[in-house]
Formats: sequence, C-alpha cells, structure tokens
Amino acid sequence: MEEHNPSTAATFAAQVRSVPGGEHLDLCYSCGTCVSKCLIQQKLEPEYNPRRLLHMVMMDMREDAYQSPTTWLCSACDLCYPACPQQIHISSLIGAVKTLAVQDGHVSPLETVQVDETLCSGCAICVMSCPYEAPHLINKEVNGVMDRFSEVDASKCMGCGICVAACPMGAIARPGVANADILAQMKIKKRKDVPSLVVFICDWSLRADEDVALLETFPANVRVIHIPCSGRIDPQLALYALAGGIDGVLVCGCQPGECHFKRGNYVSQCKISLLDQMLGQMETAQGRVRFIQLGTQERGRIRLEVEGMLHDLAPLREVR
Amino acid sequence: MVDAARHPKIKIKTYTNVERVEGYVGNFKVQLREKSRFVIRERCNGCGDCVKVCPIDVPNYFEMNLAPHKAIYVAMSQSVPLTYTIDMDACIHCYKCVDACGALEAIDFSQQDKVGWEDIGSIIVATGFNHFDPTPMTEYGYGQYPNVITAMEMERLNNSAGPTTGNLIRPSDGQNPKSVAIINCVGSRDKRYNPWCSNFCCMYAIKNAVLLKQMNPEIDLTIYYMDIRTPGKGYEEFYDRAREMGIRFIQGRPSLITEDADTHHLHVHSEDIALGKVVEHQYDMVMLNQAGVPQPDVDTVSSVLNITQSQGGWFMEYHPKLRPIDTPTDGIFLAGACQGLKDIPASVTSGSAAASRASRILHSDQWEIEPSVALVWPDRCISAQGKQCGLCAKACPYGAINVEVGSAAEVIPAKCHGCGGCVAECPYNAITQKHYTDAQILAQIRALLAEKPEEKIFAFRCHWCSYGGADLAGTSHFEYSANERGIRVMCSARMDSDFIYEAYRLGAGAVLYSGCHPQDCHYITGQQVGATRAERLTKIFEKLGMTSGRFRVEWISAAEGDKYARIINEMQKVINSMPREQLLREIETLRPQMEQRSRRMYDTPQINEAVTYSDKMAAILTHKEVPSGRA
Repeated sequence: MEEHNPSTAATFAAQVRSVPGGEHLDLCYSCGTCVSKCLIQQKLEPEYNPRRLLHMVMMDMREDAYQSPTTWLCSACDLCYPACPQQIHISSLIGAVKTLAVQDGHVSPLETVQVDETLCSGCAICVMSCPYEAPHLINKEVNGVMDRFSEVDASKCMGCGICVAACPMGAIARPGVANADILAQMKIKKRKDVPSLVVFICDWSLRADEDVALLETFPANVRVIHIPCSGRIDPQLALYALAGGIDGVLVCGCQPGECHFKRGNYVSQCKISLLDQMLGQMETAQGRVRFIQLGTQERGRIRLEVEGMLHDLAPLREVR
Repeated sequence: MVDAARHPKIKIKTYTNVERVEGYVGNFKVQLREKSRFVIRERCNGCGDCVKVCPIDVPNYFEMNLAPHKAIYVAMSQSVPLTYTIDMDACIHCYKCVDACGALEAIDFSQQDKVGWEDIGSIIVATGFNHFDPTPMTEYGYGQYPNVITAMEMERLNNSAGPTTGNLIRPSDGQNPKSVAIINCVGSRDKRYNPWCSNFCCMYAIKNAVLLKQMNPEIDLTIYYMDIRTPGKGYEEFYDRAREMGIRFIQGRPSLITEDADTHHLHVHSEDIALGKVVEHQYDMVMLNQAGVPQPDVDTVSSVLNITQSQGGWFMEYHPKLRPIDTPTDGIFLAGACQGLKDIPASVTSGSAAASRASRILHSDQWEIEPSVALVWPDRCISAQGKQCGLCAKACPYGAINVEVGSAAEVIPAKCHGCGGCVAECPYNAITQKHYTDAQILAQIRALLAEKPEEKIFAFRCHWCSYGGADLAGTSHFEYSANERGIRVMCSARMDSDFIYEAYRLGAGAVLYSGCHPQDCHYITGQQVGATRAERLTKIFEKLGMTSGRFRVEWISAAEGDKYARIINEMQKVINSMPREQLLREIETLRPQMEQRSRRMYDTPQINEAVTYSDKMAAILTHKEVPSGRA
C-alpha cells in the first residue's frame, strides 16, 4: 500500500479536483450508498468500491487509484448519483481519475470491441451508436488507397456491444459475445408439446441473487443467454433464432434510466418493438419477440415474465 | 402539566392561534384566536360519555393514523385541559353527543371563534419540530411496502398506551416481527432533502433498539448508520450497553430496500463498510429513523412575531454561542427545537433558560435599551407629505420603524438597536441616530482630512468587527501605513454614501468601506444593507473613472488584525503607484461630481454648525505649534 505522503499532499487530489467532474471530491463522507447501489461489486469484481476510490484520491494515493478496478469498470450508469446523499456525481469523479490515469499511460484492463478493417466501410454508424464516444473515424492508406475506417479508443470502450449490434457490415466484434458465440448457444432440442424460447438476459437487470439463481432452473425448452447489455441484441440474432424453429425470443433489459451502459435498453427496446411490428406485417404472427424492462427494486418478476411468454407463445405455434 | 393548569398565575390556551403581535419588550399586545371546540370548556368535565355514542371514526393523528378517534375527541387521554373537541369536518350532526352530555350541557354547536387581545410582557416561542416524511425516498419504499414504518409509528406501536397496547406487530400480517432493521439518517445529512444532522436520532435509534430488545430478547435487531454520534453524558455508555445486549450495528447507508411480494419480508441492500462489501440482509420489519424538520407554518410564526429564520427554517437566535435563547427582537425568546434540533435534556435546559430570561423582564420596572437609537425629524419625512417611501423600514432588521403614508415614520425606541441603517438609507436625511448624527460624523471626517487629504487612507469601520480588527492590528503590532485615518460607526449599514462622497470631495486619497463578514453582523442584516450600498458605490466610482483600488470594500472580523493591516498596506501601494500629479488631477476632476452628490446633506439640521466647528478645529490643528524639544 502506498503511504500518505504529506510532501506530495494535494497534488493528486488537486489534479482530480481540477478535471471537470472532479470538483465535488471533498463532499464524500464515506456512507457507502454508492457501493451498495452499484451492481459491479456484486456481479463482476469484489474489489470494486467507489467510496474507497474517492478516499484514495483524497489521500493522494495516485498509484493505488490507478490500479484500482473502480477506475476502469465504472460505466457511468449513474444509478448511484440520485442515491448519493451528498449529490456527488460519482461517475464524473471516477471519469476524472480515469482521464488522469490514461494521461499517465495506463491502459484499460477491460475486454473491448475490435474492428475488422477488411469489413469496415467507414459508415460511422458505430460512432453514433456508442454511449462512450469510443469509436472514431481515421484515414488510413491500405494498398495505396486512402480510406476511412473506424477505430476504437480502448480507454473509452466499456465493452457493452451496442456498436456490435449496430454495425451493418458485422465488422465489429466483442470477444466472448461475438455473433458466433451467441448462435452456438441457441441450439435447443425442440419439443412438440411445449414452445421453445430464447431468453436474452442483460447481466445487470437482475439484482436479487435468488433471481439470478432462478435462471438455472428453467426447463430445457427455455434457453437463457447472458449478454453484457440488451443493446447488444441485433434483430438479426432474433430472426436467426426464429428461422431455426425457435418459437419466441424474450429480451430482458433494464428499466428506463437504469441501463448499465447509459442507453442500451432504449436502443434495444426500439429495435425489438420494430422487429415485432415487421413480423406482424410479414403475416408471421406478432408477439414472437418481446422486450421487457426489469427494475432493480423488483424481485421474482423474471419467472412470471418467462412463464407468461411461454403461455402466450402456445397459440402462435399453429401459425407457422 | 396538571400543576401548571391549576396554578393561579398560569393560563393555558390550547387550540388557540396567535394572530398578531404588536408592541415591544414588556408591552406586547397579542391577538389570540381561540378556535371553537363546540364544547364549553368550563362545563366539560372530561367524562367521555360523548365519545361512546359518536358514530364517526376519524384517523387519529396522535397515533400516527394507526388507530381511529371519534369525531368528538381529545388528542390524547393526558390532554390538559381535558376538554373535548368536535372535528366539524367529520361530524354528521346526529347530536347523539348532546344527548349523552345531558344535564352538563357542555356541547354547543353554535360556538364561534373567540378573538381577543392580551397584554403580554415577554414571549417564549416553543413551537418544536416536525418529522420528515420519507415517502419521496422511493428507494426505501415507505408507503409502498407495508412493513417499512417510520420512527414515530414505531413509537406508537411499542407504547403501552398505543393502538396495540405495546404489542409490536407487522402491519402486513399482524405477526410479531422476529427481526427489525433500523435505518438512521433518513432524510437528514442528505443534500437532496435536509443537509443537517438531526442531533437526537442516533440515541433515539439505540433507545428504541434497547427497548425492543428488553420487551422481546429473542428479536434480532440491526441498526444501519453512517456515524454513531453520542456526544452527551452517559450516551456512549448507553451505546456500549446496546452492543452488549446483542444489537448489531452495520456501518453503511442502505441504498435500496426490496420486498418479497409473497411474504412481505424486506431485503436491505447496503455496503458493510467494516467488511468493505455489499450485503443484503432480510428483515421482517424496517424502521426509518426520520430527520427532524421545521414546523410547516414557521413562515407564518416568523412574520407574526417578526423573528427571522436561519438556514433551513429554524428560528434565528441573537448569537449562536453567546445569546442562543434570545431572538433579535427584545422580549421574545426561543425554547427547544424550534431554534434547532435538540434532544430532551437540551430542550429542557433551553426551556428553563428561556423562562429565566423572560422573567427578568417581568420582574423589572424599567428596561435598559441601546443608547444610540434612531430619531425621525417629522417635518423632513417624505411620508408625512403623503408620498410612498418606506426605505427606512425596509432597512431596519428589527421591524422597529412603522411607516404609514400620510404621517411621518415612527421609530419605536424599545425595538431599535441602533445600527443606523435607516439613517443612511433615508434619501431626505430625515432620520438621525443619537451619538452618531450626520453632523458628528461629518465633523470627524473633516477634521481627519484637514491636512494633506490626498495622502490619507480614510477607513470607515463598524463597531463590532472591523474596528476590532483595526484595534487588534494595533495591539498585535502589525505594521501598517501611518496614513490611515479611521472613524467608527455602529454598523456598515450606517456608512452613508454622503460620507464617502464627502471624503472624496475633501480630497481623500483612498477610502475603505469595512464591516463584518455577512454571517457575523451584530445587527442581523445590517451588513447586507451596507454591502448593497457599497456595491452600488463601487459601480458609480468605476463609471466616474476612479482608479480601481482607491475605493475598497472589505469584510474584516475582529480577529483579523493581520487582514486589516494587509488591506491598508495594499491601499497605500495603490496610492504610491500613482504619480502625485495624476492623483491630484483625478481628485480635482471628480470633485464637482462628489460635490453634486453630497449636496443634499448640507440641508440636514446641525450640519452647518458642525462644518464651522470642524473647520475651526482643523485650523487650530494645522497651525498648532510643535513644542520645541519634542520635534
């Protein structure tokens, strides 16, 4: 552990305070509300703790702060901001630390997306879709021809996969949840008596541990596929599933305002409801794809939703 | 309470509103509206026969609406006086109560409010506090989850005189809870709602936990806290005792409560700071330990009594450390939580203190007031000529000036504290202040600037702060420019713009306008009156093209001798940095402006004598021969 050294005191904390968003550092009185509101410690990284990071900054522990997973894992979902009794915009503060860390040559340890330049057309749809302004266009000479490509800033990318779903060329992939990985999980043994269902579930939309445990208990006709964000869901994936004989697709995202990646839930909701209407127009019965919002304060709703979807799918099986 | 009611010299007036307060210390006139109870107080013997026959149930606010009372009711069985009241919003006029009352004939449906005036010597305000309603904090689900209750509801549930006769039950199913969580700081220490610490809730949470544990040793109790504050005699020991009894304390402010829809059990999500990780514990019941907030009608009480509020809506004391019981209005005192949240011992202390402060007034035949009070020259007051003005009343922090169009403004000397704000604000110079008349101050300015005024830094200092600061600079031997010349007035509010113009007209090199820091003003808002004027002057001088730094506005406390010395030295540097010819030219250019602006002052009574007198003094001073041998 780095010692608090009075001779260098104020330097790091003062630096953080001077970065936009870092002004309210000293208001924190370490109540822990942000920590328990945040799902990262519970779901991803036990060492994650914004309260502790803020204290490290106040104590000028620069290297400890840079090494802390808190600096890198915060996705600025801002669930903590309305809960903070001191009204500190914590994600901006963490962002300020991250900005300094990047300036000092540290790199994000996150799994980020990669762009395949052989497929990228430079259309900039990814640039518009990203909630973190990570992709940008660059000019690059390939085989003697200047062309435009997308490039992702690894220090900004949070790995949500919204751009993966947005890219019309399929040029962006996130390791672990690439299209191929998801397709591989979609193989369900179909039965005549019960409808088959694929549930895409955003890892962040279930708070209660019982609900997470419940996912394992669904019968074989329900396949649960974990995704980092509902925004990762490309309508094509849902179409693949339906084409493969699966009766329905349920996409579970977060409640409005609670998306872990700022706006993935809105993007996905728009796409899925549009797809549903399109399927209706194509005389394939409407209702095969559905988007639901799960609130962090709700317990046990996922079970009711899956059962309800299976129930609603039963009459649709005749249509096919 | 019963003793007080029987005391021959104590009148208790319940169900009564204070409508107006007039007069001043020792001679208040108070208008009271005794609201109609529809029961004659002298006849009602409190037997309660009327309650037995009343068919209407109304939620009982005293029981936190957990139980009903009838349309004819007393707030609680220990009420003094024990007189029933009919809630006319609920009453259906069946008159069964009239029959039940029978020969006593205590019920009178035609009763009207009684309005009357009382002569009062001194007033004690003890209006207490209210509880924060946690409904807006949706994360805790109060009002949404039946088993989340507030501290006051808990108070009624475990009270043997309460609706369950002290049997603690869960509202959802009537079962006794096996585990209870208490969450502290609900709505307090929270910038979204109330930024203050509510003072008593830590001890209150521990008290409730110990009480529940004593009633039911099997119960599992957890207190969630941010900091446990036990600053009082025996408090820390009580906290120790609670821990020894097996009550668990988790440091960490819960961010969320979720409810199991079937069992109505509650899950409290928080960080356990000692463990450094997020924990989720299940409880049968959760008590929210709410913040204390000011009463909803503090604004009305403030305006009726003419007492001010500090931030947040607590009544403002005269001085937070030295006069915490007095209000700025003489003869009105504060007791208990209406001044700021207090626990029971502190409330009792402040109540006793207020009573003794008030009795000083009741026992004296005469009352000393400030000597330097304001006086109005009725013939100069524009209001007497039927014109709208009222600037003096607006400047007065004490409401000591009555202005009615058609008659001259009137200063109530017993209310006036002598800041002089009204004197400086009056554009017609119709008010003066004893011991600080315009003439006296003007004479001082003229005498001090008689010689080589362009080299002088002329300082206006307020009695309570910046004068003390200058004094401290001297006694601490902080060196500052010997060209400083200063005069004292009671408050920066007294520093009339005419004086500043006059100082520049006389050719002063620089002028310092100094007073207390905004929150420290001895006269509540006097500094604000002064600051507004200083800001206006700064703009005027800037427009007139005065070199910046020649007029300076600074707020200096009596402890800031070093600051006073530094500022004077800085002002000296400004003068030094200007070539002498340039300074003189600037003074000459501005002189007609200053003359024009301060002209009206010369109409003021006594000014001309003061001018002649100070000119003579100045002449003597200038020509005084220096005794040989001392040069």
